Amino acid sequence: MTRVGIFGVAHIHADGYLANLEAIDGVEIVGASETDAALHTGWSDRHNEPVFATHEALVAAGVDAAIVCTTTNEHLGVVEQLAAAGVHVLCEKPLATTIEDSQAIVDVCAASDVLLMTAFPMRFNPSLAAGRTWIDEDRIGEILAFAGTNQGRIPTHYAEWFADPIAAGGGAVMDHVVHLVDIMRWWMESEPVEVYALTNRILHPDVAVETGGMVTVGFSNGVFATIDCSWSRPDGYPTWGGLTIEAVGTGGVFTIDAFAERLDVWSHGDAMWTDWGSDANQAMIDHFIGAVKGEHPLDVTGVDGLRATEVALAAYRSVAAGQPVEV
Amino acid sequence: MTLRIGIIGAGNMATVHADGWEAAGDPVVAVLDADAERAGELAATIGALVADDLGSLLRSVDAIDICTPTDTHLDYVLAGAEAGVAVVCEKPLARTGDGARSAVAACREAGVPLLVGHVVRFFPEYVEARARVAAGDIGDVAVVRLDRSTYLPAGASAWFKDPARSGGVIHDLMIHDVDYAAWVAGTVTRVYARLAGSIDGGDHVLATQKHEGGAISHVQASWAFPVGSFRTSIEIAGSEGLILRHAADPFRSLVAVSSDVPDIPAPPTSGESPYVTQIRHFSQVLRGRATSRIAPEDAAAAVEVCDAIATSIMTERAVAIGEET
Repeated sequence: MTRVGIFGVAHIHADGYLANLEAIDGVEIVGASETDAALHTGWSDRHNEPVFATHEALVAAGVDAAIVCTTTNEHLGVVEQLAAAGVHVLCEKPLATTIEDSQAIVDVCAASDVLLMTAFPMRFNPSLAAGRTWIDEDRIGEILAFAGTNQGRIPTHYAEWFADPIAAGGGAVMDHVVHLVDIMRWWMESEPVEVYALTNRILHPDVAVETGGMVTVGFSNGVFATIDCSWSRPDGYPTWGGLTIEAVGTGGVFTIDAFAERLDVWSHGDAMWTDWGSDANQAMIDHFIGAVKGEHPLDVTGVDGLRATEVALAAYRSVAAGQPVEV
Repeated sequence: MTLRIGIIGAGNMATVHADGWEAAGDPVVAVLDADAERAGELAATIGALVADDLGSLLRSVDAIDICTPTDTHLDYVLAGAEAGVAVVCEKPLARTGDGARSAVAACREAGVPLLVGHVVRFFPEYVEARARVAAGDIGDVAVVRLDRSTYLPAGASAWFKDPARSGGVIHDLMIHDVDYAAWVAGTVTRVYARLAGSIDGGDHVLATQKHEGGAISHVQASWAFPVGSFRTSIEIAGSEGLILRHAADPFRSLVAVSSDVPDIPAPPTSGESPYVTQIRHFSQVLRGRATSRIAPEDAAAAVEVCDAIATSIMTERAVAIGEET
């Protein structure tokens, strides 16, 4: 059996990851750890598994692998404990709120020889995997540009800390830039070299972070891309948001809506999108557990998380400078 | 009372404008084109005369309608102002922002109306979206996305394909959404843009803009899409809501074409061609019955922003326009 713990439940994905783990044969869920009393109580009300008051206690209970779902600024502290105990790590995105912390997470896992995966479930979305295939097969010739959107409702509906400059390190940019950057790096095997960004706080002006963001990324192979990371979906939007990417090449274009497998459902109350088909989160957790078991190498690493986080942090530097900046 | 119209240039847009003047009830009395044969064909179709030269055309009309290549607009606007006739001009107002400013100044000093064909301001979906914004339905405008993606028509004229003369995809195509973005989100104060050219010359541009008051916008203009495609979209996110209009083709329900693709899409099924709506509006403005929906300064600003977008592409820097806020 692979013994797995969920370290921190501040992130909304923790509940879903628990269900994903429960669906995997050969996984024993040791429990969760949470230092915040209210989160701790909420979790134990929802789930039967043990919940520990400290991360140390969960480590001491004996785990082989960990999923880290604390607030972003607490990732490093938890990962240091895990690496020291030889525990393999799947860390929520973004990796950390600073370059230094992100690099330290990568370094400490490498030094301790534990696996480090960044939670980029879009790598396991079949539509986006098709995009990678189309690029490999030169289906639209040489890639020239991407236009991506990863917009959503403001995530404070799930947890207030997503709009906390300390805990999250920022707002819409920290939340939504990394997924598309990772997809583009994965598709092209080329690195971001330059970033220009605009942000504003007109949507939800009551929060202390940027809620609108438009980021332009230049890659080392000459391709450029825009990423709309705005929290621009209003409360009444049928779902949390979405992710699309359009590629323009020398021989054509393709457009992918990563969440196109859905029904539009209306009731007398709210509109709703309900989806079917593949479960990217399940595939991501399956992949992580498989790597922990030594069945295959990791397709998504901590370095991938670091590179994507570098772009988000460069966006803030660009906003301050009013000009493109080097990554 | 009818207005006597003189059309300068007898290409595609001239034919479209002539339809508008017919609907407005204003006779096109004269046509001028460097290609006399082409001028004659259009004149014969609409019952006009071919003007011998610019001077004779200016003496025989109340208004000129400039439908010539972009780089020639300014000279005709200045000639119209000097002759004291009203000036209607296809967009862009001039090839450069400086030229556009001098066109506006000349018409103001001469006291003649200057009406620039930013036809998107007459497309019903764009009109309705702006009306919703103006009504406060989505609160303060925060993030705008506009897209205009098509292909470079195979039959495009040499001047059109020459960026030095037309300004290319930025001044010819993107200017529609540059103008509309300012109309819904305020004056543009800074731009940053990247351009890619595909092998057959179909340029593709992505621009991001900062607006006075803090809104940001993303504008895509492309001639790099497959032959036959024409896509526009509108997305306006505000503090209180969201407007979306995504259309693979806003004009036709479902058409697959492999050849003989028209350069100008068919009109919407919901009403008349926006090109006709625009000319009818201009006709009312010239009669003093309406205020122009397109201020000359707005048309000049659109060209200035396009210049800045081109400069940003060349310099790989963000470019400020006016007093950045």
